[in-house]
Order: sequence, then structure tokens, then C-alpha cells
Amino acid sequence: MTDEHEHEHGTPEIHDTPEAQGAPEVSEVQGTAEVEVHELGLEPSDLDGHTLEELTDYLEAGREPADPSIEGSPGCQLALDALEQLRGLGGELIAADTAAMPEVDDSWVDRILSGIALDARAGRRIPFDDPDPSTDFGITEGAVRGLIRSAENTVPGILVGHSELDGDVTIPGARIRISIEVNAFYGESIPVAVQRLRDEVAERVQRHTDLTVTAIDVTVRDVQRVSRSTEDRS
Amino acid sequence: MVGERFRSALEEADDRLVASRAMDGDIAAFAVLVRRYTPMMRAYTQRMLNASADVDDIVQEAFVTAWQRFSELDDPSKVKSWLMRIVSRKAVDRIRALRPTVDVDDVEQSAPSQTSPDRVAEARAGVAALGAALQELPAAQRECWVLREMGGYSYDEIATELDISVSTARGLLARARKSMIVRMEAWR
Repeated sequence: MTDEHEHEHGTPEIHDTPEAQGAPEVSEVQGTAEVEVHELGLEPSDLDGHTLEELTDYLEAGREPADPSIEGSPGCQLALDALEQLRGLGGELIAADTAAMPEVDDSWVDRILSGIALDARAGRRIPFDDPDPSTDFGITEGAVRGLIRSAENTVPGILVGHSELDGDVTIPGARIRISIEVNAFYGESIPVAVQRLRDEVAERVQRHTDLTVTAIDVTVRDVQRVSRSTEDRS
Repeated sequence: MVGERFRSALEEADDRLVASRAMDGDIAAFAVLVRRYTPMMRAYTQRMLNASADVDDIVQEAFVTAWQRFSELDDPSKVKSWLMRIVSRKAVDRIRALRPTVDVDDVEQSAPSQTSPDRVAEARAGVAALGAALQELPAAQRECWVLREMGGYSYDEIATELDISVSTARGLLARARKSMIVRMEAWR
């Protein structure tokens, strides 16, 4: 909206949008009146016949294949510099905006959690092996995964990620294989931690289900540092 | 102490592990994602709408949708961009509800008072000037620019999201870039 005024300083015309003429003439010039306006033309006449769209495509293609008529044009070079600068700023802007956002408080987290269905990820139903056919008790796959995750509480040095029950868990007493992905903590013995996790998971699954666990595969996906601040340093 | 320790470990874990757990139904892991990405989702939505009202509703809707549709997330390590896509869609839906058609010729709005040129001249930083220039763009240009430069959408995807032709999207982006370059030059 300040364009109309700036061009009177001899800058090549930038008739950006036809509707600019219809824009209300508000007092927007105050802030820019004393600012020196750089001579940057963005019309084809300033860009040796090229358009800003073309230059954007050229830039996004990594300036390959090199176009001599663009590379040899001072007007195009100025516009490319400006476009390049602008391109990187989108990421910086969202980073700056994100950093300026208020801290996420507990009430916000509670608001989100209160709006979700807690049983949405229950998975398959795993029946108990009960001799009385009139009863129908069981546990969900999601609950078993919860059991597997909670094993980490007794195993130092492990954080459990995704787990899978391979086998037809809907048949009482089915033979299954458990796969678990974990992060190990930096500084802990991985083989020791993995073995303790296996033992703990086997014990928990046996105690809470009628499944027959044939194997427990543990894959360490990542080694992560755990901040000392909240760790028990006794 | 053990509980504290593991809560901290989960907060510090990589996206892949946290998202995997959330996909398996772990509410604590989902809460970590909410804490981790709410600021970015709010920031993006605010730029998209050019307003603060409705931002929290949109971000909340996005998280609810994410929870319901976790099975569609193929790669948990990409949960951040997946969440950004969801919130972007919610923002576009909200814009479309208020303004059913994209007005590709809409007139430029006057700058909101809190980002007067004086203030921006003081701030100087390129990012601040960019933010102010973005706020002054006509809505359709702004939406295209945010989708492209903050959301990483391709021209085809922008056209689909906004239900406009690819050439219209390209034209709006070119005009957006032109206006922003001119404004930023003026404030440098």
C-alpha cells in the first residue's frame, strides 16, 4: 500500500496489483517517508524480460541449468538475492514465533487430554482361557502394551517405545512373539538392561494374560542422554 | 524418584519413540507431543489466520484428530510435520467456513496497529519486518505464502488445499513475494 508513493522517487514502477488503486489512502506513509528506498525493480522491464515467477522457479531448481540471460542480468541478480533472502526467512519466522509463544501450561494439556477418547487405541481383544464358556473375560491389546511399557519402571536405563504382539492373540492361550523397540540411556549397560527388560516383560505378560510367549525381541533404536537434573543421584 | 526420572526421559526422547508410544495408546507420550508442538502449531495457525482468536480451538481440534488418526501416520519420526499438516488443514477449514471462496483479487488490508511501520523500523530484524509484511498481505496471498514457506507445501498441494488452480496459486505467491520484498526493502 505504500508502493504508490515510493515509486515517485524514480524507482521503476511496481504495479504490483491492479486493486492497489482501489486501496484506501490511509496515512501509512508516515513511517516510510524518511526511509531510503532501495532501487529494486521486480517488473519484467527491470529483469531483462524475466518475471519474478520465472526467477523463483529458477532459484528453486538450484539455478540449474544455468541460464546466461538471468545470470548476466544485474536486475535479475538483485531480484534473486532478494528472493533467496526471503526464502530462508519463512523458517526463521516460524521459529521466532514459536519461541515467542507462551509456555504450555498443565491446564492446556488437560484440556486436550479431556477431549480425546482414551480407548481409541485399544487394539485387539485378548480373551482369558476360561473353562467356563459362559464367561467372557479378557484384556485389550492396548492394555498389554501398557504392561510392557510399565516394565521400564523397574529396569534402569531403558525407555520402551513401540511394541507388537505377533500371533493370533484372539485365541485363548495363543503362542505369540513380542517385539519391543526401546531407547537405551547413555552410560548404562545395554545388554544387561535388555535382559532385565525381557525378564520383566515375560513375567508381567504371564501374570496378566493367558498368552504363551515364545520369544521377546528387543531392538535398541537409539541411545539417549537423560538429564541429570531430575535423576536420583544418591 | 523413579517416576520423575522416567517422565523426564520420555520428555527428552526423540519424536520417533514418543510418537510410537502415543500410537500404541500411551496418554503420557501423547501429552509430551502436546507440550512439544503446541507452540509451533499455535504460531503457524496464528500466521495462517492473521488473528489470535480461534487459534487454541484449531490447535485442540488438530490434536484430537491426530489422536484419532494415529494409524495413518506411517513414520512416527515424522510426527512433527504430520501434526503441522493436520493443523494447517484445520486452519484452512476454519478460514473457508468464514470465507467460502478464495478471493484472489482481494484488496490489501491496512496494517494492524500493533505492527505499525514505526515499530518495525525500530525492530530492524529481518524476521520482524517479514512478520509485519506478512500481516499486511491480502488473505489469499498470505495463506499461499504461509503454506509454502512455513508449511513446506508444493504448488500442487497449495492448489488442492485452497481449491484453486495451480497457476492461481503461483500467481498469488509471486504477488506475495513481490509485496514482501518491496516492504522489507523499504524498512531496511
